[in-house]
Amino acid sequence: MKSQTTSTQSDLSPKAIGVKELSTDKLFPNPHNPRMLFDKDPLRILRDSIAKVGILVPLTVYREGRSGRFVILDGQRRWIVAQELDLPTVPVNEVAEPNLVQNIVTMFQIHKLREDWELMPTALKLEVLMKELQERNEKKLAALTGLDQAVVSRCKKLLDYPRRYQALMLEPEPAVRVKADFFIELYAVRNDRFVNSLDWFDRNDFTAKMLERYQNRKGIKAVTDFRTVKQYIANSRKAGKDKEIARRLREFVEDVELGLDHLVIRAVDVTAQARKLEGEVVGLRKLLHDLDVKSYYGEESLWAELEELLRVIMRRLEEAGRRIRK
Amino acid sequence: MRAPKHRGSPVDMARMRGWVEEFAGYRIAVNEGRIGRWLQQFEEADRDLAARLLDVVDFIGNDQIAAAFREALSGLPGWSPDENRRSGRWFFVAFSSSAGESGDQMLHRFRTANNLAGRRYDYLFHYRSELLMLAPGEEDTVVLIDDFAGTGNQACQAWEEVYRELLPFGPRIYLILVASSRHAREKIRQGTEMTPHAHFELGDGDNFFASACRHFTVSEKEKILHYCEMADPSNPRGYGECGFVIVLAHKCPNNSLPILHVRRRSWEGLFRRHD
Repeated sequence: MKSQTTSTQSDLSPKAIGVKELSTDKLFPNPHNPRMLFDKDPLRILRDSIAKVGILVPLTVYREGRSGRFVILDGQRRWIVAQELDLPTVPVNEVAEPNLVQNIVTMFQIHKLREDWELMPTALKLEVLMKELQERNEKKLAALTGLDQAVVSRCKKLLDYPRRYQALMLEPEPAVRVKADFFIELYAVRNDRFVNSLDWFDRNDFTAKMLERYQNRKGIKAVTDFRTVKQYIANSRKAGKDKEIARRLREFVEDVELGLDHLVIRAVDVTAQARKLEGEVVGLRKLLHDLDVKSYYGEESLWAELEELLRVIMRRLEEAGRRIRK
Repeated sequence: MRAPKHRGSPVDMARMRGWVEEFAGYRIAVNEGRIGRWLQQFEEADRDLAARLLDVVDFIGNDQIAAAFREALSGLPGWSPDENRRSGRWFFVAFSSSAGESGDQMLHRFRTANNLAGRRYDYLFHYRSELLMLAPGEEDTVVLIDDFAGTGNQACQAWEEVYRELLPFGPRIYLILVASSRHAREKIRQGTEMTPHAHFELGDGDNFFASACRHFTVSEKEKILHYCEMADPSNPRGYGECGFVIVLAHKCPNNSLPILHVRRRSWEGLFRRHD
């Protein structure tokens, strides 16, 4: 693998060779394509279009050096449809064989990450890019790949785990595959500075025990329970209860029969405050939902306050690691 | 499928001892008491049939599994225990590896069977998640280890969803199995870039319900199906309708008849799959 340390965006694009027609059955899918599965509805629309007017935009392909076969860089859906319609040939634009980094970057940019895709294969490809490009900055990696910065951040969290845990996210049998969300949510506790300063704490032992609890539904019923653990730790520390929360956390880790409530130190319980705030948020949301915009159109200070409120909400959601759907 | 004893053969001490000896290596002890209780689940008139079904169970013991793995590796082109005589780099990986599942166990058995358990061979054994970074190329060989393929569906799906992305540089890829159906082997060979290799191969005659299985009459098959429906109404012929009677020492495949392995209120299999 060629190392690239000063790549520009144009360096990462394969060079064009020319347009021609190729037999449909001579093409092969790209091994770096994030997924072979495509949504049926858009495929049907594409199929109707190609059945009427043929393939207007050539597929982008390259000839693989080691095998001599043509591999699709862009246009896999068109190729699938061409096969379904028994089209003997398809128009292709041949480009030079991309190197590993070019191929991965191109695949990322073409096949924008979908929420239902497993994240671990994406994380492993990102790992290759990080190594080859000597780049760890999340913003730059996001710009390079077209991935959301939050996705890059999640991938990096997965890469922090030992290989044996990463392998669990690649389990062939979907029913027993461990979801990436488990490891991402666990990360906040596993990598907490205070928790790591405790002399008994071992990250991998902690990971193994939490996984066992989660898989056996013992005390951890949902991956979001780790947010609650983090919250209990943070609130206890804020109230100066470091020793007590450390002791309780150790007991929670060692005794699988103890539930999450073992970590609650009553004096610092913020649940009541959270419910009060939640009630106020619900009230405000209802008011805003029913607001007749035209009636308040000129109330500049109101709109300015709402904009500020939105900014604060976005900031807090980001801090809480929430995935914001636009 | 081997032949059962003649109809009406008594379930005497000798026959019972034969079963106990045959199934001795199973992970959950198969003793006379458990065999007796298993037979009691059948109506009295059907117990001779149930006994004949036990006669044909194809039990693959630990020694046979080890021998299968030794034979498989020694037959792979380019392999040598001596690194200097090996062709390219070699990577041994558990095909499936969730905690407690077969793949990890199989990889361990593969190591010990081939005298590769020593730490000096650690460099040959990898996690799936390392493959993309290790980038095995066309000069290299990746050996995926698992126990059984009944339909080939899981292996093909795993190839599409996991392995194809992790092995993009064209290494030789072998899927070493202890046993497989001929259908599964063909499906994997055609649908993936893996070359399957199974020591024990099951054909049409190994499907209890298939017409190619001539040891039992149609009416006997219907009776067994009735008990299988009691044991597992959703997969009475075994997963993928394979109808196998194969049992591996560490686990009975779910492609085998459910009356052999299912543990439910309505049925207690002799070779239960989980503790």
